[in-house]
Amino acid sequence: MVEPSLVLYGALYQRAMDVLQETLQETGARYALFVDRKGFVLAHKEALWAPKPPPLDSLATLVAGNAAATQALAKLLGEARFQEVVHQGERMGLYVDEAGEFALLVLVFDENAPLGKVKLHGKRAAETLARLAEEALANPPKLNLDTQYREEAKALLDELLGN
Amino acid sequence: MSTINFANREINFKIVYYGPGLSGKTTNLKWIYSKIPEGRKGEMVSLATEDERTLFFDFLPLDLGEVKGFKTRFHLYTVPGQVFYNASRKLILRGVDGIVFVADSAPNRLRANAESMRNMRENLAEYGLKVDDVPVVLQVNKRDLPDALPVEMVQAVVDPEGRFPVFEAVATEGKGVFETLKEVSRRVLARVGST
Repeated sequence: MVEPSLVLYGALYQRAMDVLQETLQETGARYALFVDRKGFVLAHKEALWAPKPPPLDSLATLVAGNAAATQALAKLLGEARFQEVVHQGERMGLYVDEAGEFALLVLVFDENAPLGKVKLHGKRAAETLARLAEEALANPPKLNLDTQYREEAKALLDELLGN
Repeated sequence: MSTINFANREINFKIVYYGPGLSGKTTNLKWIYSKIPEGRKGEMVSLATEDERTLFFDFLPLDLGEVKGFKTRFHLYTVPGQVFYNASRKLILRGVDGIVFVADSAPNRLRANAESMRNMRENLAEYGLKVDDVPVVLQVNKRDLPDALPVEMVQAVVDPEGRFPVFEAVATEGKGVFETLKEVSRRVLARVGST
């Protein structure tokens, strides 16, 4: 089966943002991201007090790659999956949980956020996001990008990469 | 298969550079990174071994600009070419929108080119894809080698039916690098809204 595109739109997107915001408040984490397993950011929130986040594209790409490798490791060991991954350094930590088949929840937290809270609320949030992802996949929005989009994008390609 | 972020008004595409080990996939990305102006590129991530062989992937995000209110972005990836890193290659192909197959012109790499193409077909099949389902561009690299094989010979091995557009390249000097990227990007864009 070809992997479907996961697109959050309108109310669904707002609900996802609310979940991320709530999770930041409950856990004390710095950043919360909802990413697809291809490595693209679908939605993200940062705590008001948090410093500038690291490049989100790189973060999402590496997390998606890591999650895929973790899944392959689980299979090697006879497990269907390892549902969550936690990395903890001296000051910063990363919590990743599956949000259904096609997406992941990522929480970046520092030493002020207790890991227990991060895991507890992270898991709940991941379950809610998984349901949102299912809804999004069931009702994909029409994009309506036409010939004009393609032509304008090609012109930009010429500008960036030369004629 | 592109990823759309309506809130940020972004459309993201994933382009993967595939091919045998040492054919020049990472060199393509490094050249692109060195020539694209600041503000139009993100951070380049390389997961490589100490001797600079790609271990997991290289990653480079590019901003094309805004079209009809949507920021259009290409995420470029390379896969590790060495035979034993197939698990990594398979993971990187997930959700791919376009592929640049980088073939090596050296006579002793002809078999490796063919093997890599076969491997790519197999890995795509794991995601329910055939090569006809994804825009593929063939880049025949290292044309500066004194004993470089004729392009037709490389093509006959990796794409005997001649389905893919072919570009000659010397990635170390940037020759053919942008042309290849442009063609695969154009083909990816041509599918927007039609799939």
